[in-house]
Amino acid sequence: MAVQILKEKYAQPIRTFKLGATAEEGGTRCCSLAIGGEGTLPFQHYEGVNPNKPIVAMEVNTMIDLDWNENLKNAIGAQYIGNPTEWAKYVKEVGADAIYLKLDSADPDKGNDSPEKCAQLTKDVLAACDLPVIVAGSGNSEVDEEVLMAVADATKGENLLIGFAETEHYKSLVAACLGNGHGIIARSPLDINICKQLNILISEMNMPLERIVIDPLVSSVGYGIEYAYSIMERGRIGALTGDKTLSMPMIATVGFESWRQKEAWSNTEDFPQWGEQADRGPAWEAVTAAACLQGGVDILCMRHPVAIKSIKRQIDALMVK
Amino acid sequence: MEKIQVIIMPEGINVEVEKGSTLLDAANAAGITMKTSCGGQGTCGRCAIKVLNGNVQGGDGNLSKAHKAEGYLLACTATVDQGPVTVDFPESSRLSEHQVLLDDSVDDIIKENRTDDFEDTEAPFVRKVQVTLTEPNLMENASDFARLSTELRSILETEHITISYDALKTLPLKVREQNWQVTVTCLMQEDAAEIIRVEAGLVDTPPYGIAIDIGTTTIAVALVDLATGKKIHQNGTFNRQASMGDDVISRIVYTEEEKDGLKEIQDVVLETINGLLDEVYDEENIRPEEVSAMMVAANTTMVHLFLGIEPKFIRREPYIPASAQFPVIKAKELGIHIHADGAIYCFPAVASYVGGDIISGALLTGLEKQEEFWLFIDIGTNGEMVLGNSDLLMCCACSAGPAFEGGGITFGMRAMAGAIEKIVIDDDFKVSYVTVNNAPAVGICGSGLIDCLFTLRKAGIINRQGKMQQVDTDRMRQGEEGPEFVLVHAAESGIGKDIVVTEADVENLIRAKAAVFAGIRVMLNKMELPFEAISKILIGGGFGNYLNLKDSIQIGLLPDLPAEYYDFIGNSSLKGAYMALLSRKVFEHSVELGRGMTYLELSDGNEFYDEYVQAMFLPHTDMSLFPSVED
Repeated sequence: MAVQILKEKYAQPIRTFKLGATAEEGGTRCCSLAIGGEGTLPFQHYEGVNPNKPIVAMEVNTMIDLDWNENLKNAIGAQYIGNPTEWAKYVKEVGADAIYLKLDSADPDKGNDSPEKCAQLTKDVLAACDLPVIVAGSGNSEVDEEVLMAVADATKGENLLIGFAETEHYKSLVAACLGNGHGIIARSPLDINICKQLNILISEMNMPLERIVIDPLVSSVGYGIEYAYSIMERGRIGALTGDKTLSMPMIATVGFESWRQKEAWSNTEDFPQWGEQADRGPAWEAVTAAACLQGGVDILCMRHPVAIKSIKRQIDALMVK
Repeated sequence: MEKIQVIIMPEGINVEVEKGSTLLDAANAAGITMKTSCGGQGTCGRCAIKVLNGNVQGGDGNLSKAHKAEGYLLACTATVDQGPVTVDFPESSRLSEHQVLLDDSVDDIIKENRTDDFEDTEAPFVRKVQVTLTEPNLMENASDFARLSTELRSILETEHITISYDALKTLPLKVREQNWQVTVTCLMQEDAAEIIRVEAGLVDTPPYGIAIDIGTTTIAVALVDLATGKKIHQNGTFNRQASMGDDVISRIVYTEEEKDGLKEIQDVVLETINGLLDEVYDEENIRPEEVSAMMVAANTTMVHLFLGIEPKFIRREPYIPASAQFPVIKAKELGIHIHADGAIYCFPAVASYVGGDIISGALLTGLEKQEEFWLFIDIGTNGEMVLGNSDLLMCCACSAGPAFEGGGITFGMRAMAGAIEKIVIDDDFKVSYVTVNNAPAVGICGSGLIDCLFTLRKAGIINRQGKMQQVDTDRMRQGEEGPEFVLVHAAESGIGKDIVVTEADVENLIRAKAAVFAGIRVMLNKMELPFEAISKILIGGGFGNYLNLKDSIQIGLLPDLPAEYYDFIGNSSLKGAYMALLSRKVFEHSVELGRGMTYLELSDGNEFYDEYVQAMFLPHTDMSLFPSVED
């Protein structure tokens, strides 16, 4: 007698977000990517559908500061640093699915680019590369509000994904995304309740739930990835079992988190027993990304070309039914 | 010790206090109770006073900038070294007469829930019987007491008759005063009776008893005719221990930190009770010695403080009370104004944070004999609840805090004259409100605060997280401690300043409601029951009576169930005490009831905290629990 595989039956699938609009859809992107839509836990193909591949968005930053590791910059290509449009073209070369445009130059301490300048930079990137685009502010909440509003207004119809909305300030970003047809990233600090609350607050401004993507704020391997994983898993199970306030795809800023850690950037000379930094760095990023995939992340925002290529291969392997 | 003269304005009361005393002491000496939720630590900032003439030292503490600018000081930290001093103790810094829930529907509730339960098991605590004795002679020379005992044995059908020392002293004269006719009052036990009072002649007045609810915040008493079971008179006031801290924990702290603190705090509650009793006796024209029994329902800490039992281990892990059951106490041992040999019975407790007041309430509801699940919630400072039916009973205390009783809220107050109890804010942010006794507004009481939370949310002044929003009205402003919304302008208020609700107040209220709701959820989870499994929810507490059910559901305080599920039973603790006072069987049943309750310690494990965090949203992070809540 054949073994009966026990299958979990879930109440609802994850919502599907459409990133990027093609010409027919009123935009200028090469494609429109379906994100999410899972009917079961990650890659449990025997149990339910995983209709859409998780995607990798490569980071293009408008201001690289000293924090960026030399080997990382060299791997990307020194010629792209400080040249977002060329960098954007390179993203397609690497084979990433989308661009993660990070507007760090808007920060008063890192360039103080005006909202208009940032909007223009975004438009330039859109013109240079036809991949779908995710845009994030500088992280300085004093300027980001206006910057992101300007970006959202200038890119109407492109179906961008813009972040980050947080409980302390979300209203203006929701309004800007809503009016211009973009999706919004709702970021909560590793807290399922805040996550739900923020999603409720955003949806109460009439933003359809299909246009919200959750950023649970992950960490990297070695720095509490287990906790981040448990939050992601809990959220995903909650969503599948019927909680509509959690039923959105997830995004993780893996590149940023991984490259903050000394295991990724420390010199080979300082820690010879850790192996070559040139290999160790991208490995740290790729392993962190792999953990996030298992937690259910749908969009990985990454930096190192080697890490991106290797995680793409892994995704392909995991998607084989 | 040098005495200092203090003149208390506006009354002009002249008191003398020892050199170095605080102005709070002076107020106490004058019989004025000040608002001191912190227990006189200088942290709550409520006992603000103004020196009109003379000099005082200190007076610093948590005072608002505005108050400081106007020259106000704190009574609790200001001391007098030389007199005389003239001090204004403004109305807004005093506790006024408390409005305590007093209602008469107990008979209906007993009828509804307790039909015939105890009818054929009459077993009164007190019997008063008229006896005609045979006169002794040289042949028949038994003692007066033996003579009386013989008659009582047959009347009371009880074998063991004893007599109190004081009653015995009066016996020889009393029996002879009216030709061997006497009326005796006996305290009854199973197969035993103790004579505590002998009156000459055949006296018709009934034996009386007192039912009492000693709450953390309020105290209520009922005078009961024990012959007919009728309630004659009810009276209530605030617990003057409030000046030694708002909640049971700060009261226990007071007993530990003050010299003779336990004695002092016990005396205050005894005085409060005696004051109430004296008022009742005056009104009804009866004497204390006519009252022979008292039934006490109080939370565990309050019983400890009432009886003067060391309470400090209640507040320390693992939270152990001295006892769950309390001995019968003679009134003279405490100095309670009833007959000196009258008996004081205290309801047993389940645990340190689920006390006799909850057993008393549960007794009233009759939930232990229901087939379906009933939930009884006493929304007070401790927020206790009992869930169960005839098969099992579970109880817990969710320590909601004093917010719904006005504690920890900038303009929070108990339900006294001038307390806002209802608020409506329209689309143009125009505020209309109703106050207790229609007096000028001086603060907001619990029901007003629930209304407030709901109406602020409805008007878009706060969001679902309780954060104040930028709304277009001058009522919204930046206060000393963050954003605040003006409910009543100074011109129309009774305290000469604006009455506001701050973002911090809103946060406190959300915490309190989250604790209550989380307690309900955890109990249901433990029993693996959905909300729908509850067929009735009984809300008790001094504030339950004027609770707005719809608003309470909209803010997520109470489960989203139709109105017919809910019953407000008012002061369930007092009513249960009244029931038990009428019959020893009922009281014994309550002991059983207490034993049958499983206590759920919410601080054990993460579940309560998890639920609590989820409930910190209006109405709840899981909106599917509140389908009726409008956007």
